Amino acid sequence: MQVFFQTIIGGISLGAVYALVALGFSLVYRTMGLVNFAHGNVVTVGAYLASTFYLTTKLPFALAMLVAIAVTAAIGLVIERVLRPLENRDFDLMLIGTIGFGIVLDALVIMIWGATGRAVPSPVPAAPIELFGLRIRTYDLVVLAIAAVATVLLVLFLSRTKRGAAMQAVAMDHEAATAVGIHVGRSNAIAFMIGAGLAALAGGLVGPLLYVNPALGGALGIKGFAAAILGGFGSIPGAIVGGLAIGVLDSFAAGHFQGYSELVTFLVFTVIIMIRPTGVFGERTVNRA
Amino acid sequence: MVRPRATAISAVAVLALVVAAGCSAPGGDKKESGSDSGPIKIALVDAQSGQLSSLGAWELKGAKLAVTEWNAAGGINGRQIQLDVFDDQADPTTGTNLARKIDSEGYIAMIGTAESAVTIAMAPTLKTAEIPNITSGQSPGLVAVGSEFLFLNGPTSTTYDETLAKYIVDQQGIKSIALITNNGSYGKGEHDAFTKALTARSVTPVADQVVTTDQKDFSAALTSIRQKNPKLIFLGAEEVESGLIVKQARDLGITVPFAGAAPQGTPVFLDTAGAAGAEGTIVSSPYLSNDISPASKKFADAYKAAYNEDAELHGAKAYDGAQIMLTALKNSNVATGKPLADAIRATKYQGLLGDFAFDQTGVGIFATSIGKIQGGKLVAAAG
Repeated sequence: MQVFFQTIIGGISLGAVYALVALGFSLVYRTMGLVNFAHGNVVTVGAYLASTFYLTTKLPFALAMLVAIAVTAAIGLVIERVLRPLENRDFDLMLIGTIGFGIVLDALVIMIWGATGRAVPSPVPAAPIELFGLRIRTYDLVVLAIAAVATVLLVLFLSRTKRGAAMQAVAMDHEAATAVGIHVGRSNAIAFMIGAGLAALAGGLVGPLLYVNPALGGALGIKGFAAAILGGFGSIPGAIVGGLAIGVLDSFAAGHFQGYSELVTFLVFTVIIMIRPTGVFGERTVNRA
Repeated sequence: MVRPRATAISAVAVLALVVAAGCSAPGGDKKESGSDSGPIKIALVDAQSGQLSSLGAWELKGAKLAVTEWNAAGGINGRQIQLDVFDDQADPTTGTNLARKIDSEGYIAMIGTAESAVTIAMAPTLKTAEIPNITSGQSPGLVAVGSEFLFLNGPTSTTYDETLAKYIVDQQGIKSIALITNNGSYGKGEHDAFTKALTARSVTPVADQVVTTDQKDFSAALTSIRQKNPKLIFLGAEEVESGLIVKQARDLGITVPFAGAAPQGTPVFLDTAGAAGAEGTIVSSPYLSNDISPASKKFADAYKAAYNEDAELHGAKAYDGAQIMLTALKNSNVATGKPLADAIRATKYQGLLGDFAFDQTGVGIFATSIGKIQGGKLVAAAG
């Protein structure tokens, strides 16, 4: 029983990070119908920026995160601006363009920070909380809280603000949205910007949990992408549920199948997707691909 | 029209791919087989990107230091040594492609890789091409390949783990031991070698957990281990993963010491686990610190001067390996192929890791020492 609950706890904390990565994937997809293959690399950049400002510049952790989010958001804007001429014209080239950006970001990270990584000490040094023989890391609670707040803010932005509503409109029908005077390019730019910001948030948060190196984003990107698909690609609640599900699934597979856990995780994932191709919350309103 | 812009974008994307491809294999554009003039071409193949890139970076630094010293002293027979770097991304497929590449581009010898799986994948190609290779891998699988062109610059896992088991079981009397290893070639080698050493002492591990090489959450494995209440946990995984396992174990309230081989003595392991978490870790290593001998002090000073960071085991191993390769080249008058392999086998070298004397299997050193992490530093264990 203890193993069971401790496994869930371990899975949920990484699951929250996968959820944030999945949110970024889904937000860009629902707005543009595009899979941003550079997303995982943006996570790496975010992790490096946050850890650099935290460790080298000695900013407080929260402030370092904000700076990292701002800088990566700017990178998101650059990616969108370069790809904009292709929007609604050549989709394959756009996809390849994001792959190209991913490779460029990967190379830049190695050029700037080197191929070796760095360990980030936890900003919350308090000892783990002990509850019924279970151990809960205080930092995990921080990660969960921040992920929850970010999700609520994103949902509020999309549903309560004019700009957010405009983005929803573009997601539903970009031609009709253009007809009523919504700037599709700007809406896409905001999606990319927020997506990159979320990636930086995920990368920055995961730094103290893992080890920041150039390969960090690759692993998180694949799990985050799987999470987005599992929850229903393009769905905001789907990204959250998918992220947590992949995290917990991964933990249990690790406990029961040890060396074959990765295989089992993705087999289960495949079976779920075969039964429900649209994912848990898939609505198929977005179909511009 | 939009076409020209679309073309421009695709050009950017293609350019990005070309640049990235260029980064992965720098300096490989000249075609010049083992001729008698011009620089002596040696290839260094190691991960310069990816999760194991810290190993590749250390290797490069160690080998480069040796080559720079030889070049400063006038090279070999008046010829300079040219060390070119190839990035294998710690990926066996990339490795086999690189093996063909260094053959076609006329490199006469290879240093690396630090990943046993990659070296094993490259070995058949290098054997056919008759290119001698000194690797930093330590998996017993390297010996099983049975190539007379493959040499190890350190002991195999069998040596590391036999020494470790001797210290833990025979000297300390610890018999309640749990295992956590990964399923990569390094972790698998450690698992098998240590289990064998325990079986020889009729000790059965209380837990035997296997994790994957890119697993991030170890709650399930560690909680199972905690319930078995072992006195010591054997760790068979690379630097970063080992560090994460120790960090998460401490968070889960596991207080017993860990024990392992080479990776657990490195700065990356210490950083990832945190000094407090790594305290008391028992390490089996042929190179415990930079202060063990005058030669290691000299090496550490040169390393510090060149790279502004402290030397560690992997740099020292690669330095020894490069020194052996260069000594053999000098002794054989820059031979290539089989004569060079024979010259390496005949080389007796007093290195940083100890005295090298190669046997038929390509292993040159058969001893490690036991160290302990105390106060954030690896020191020789008492007794």
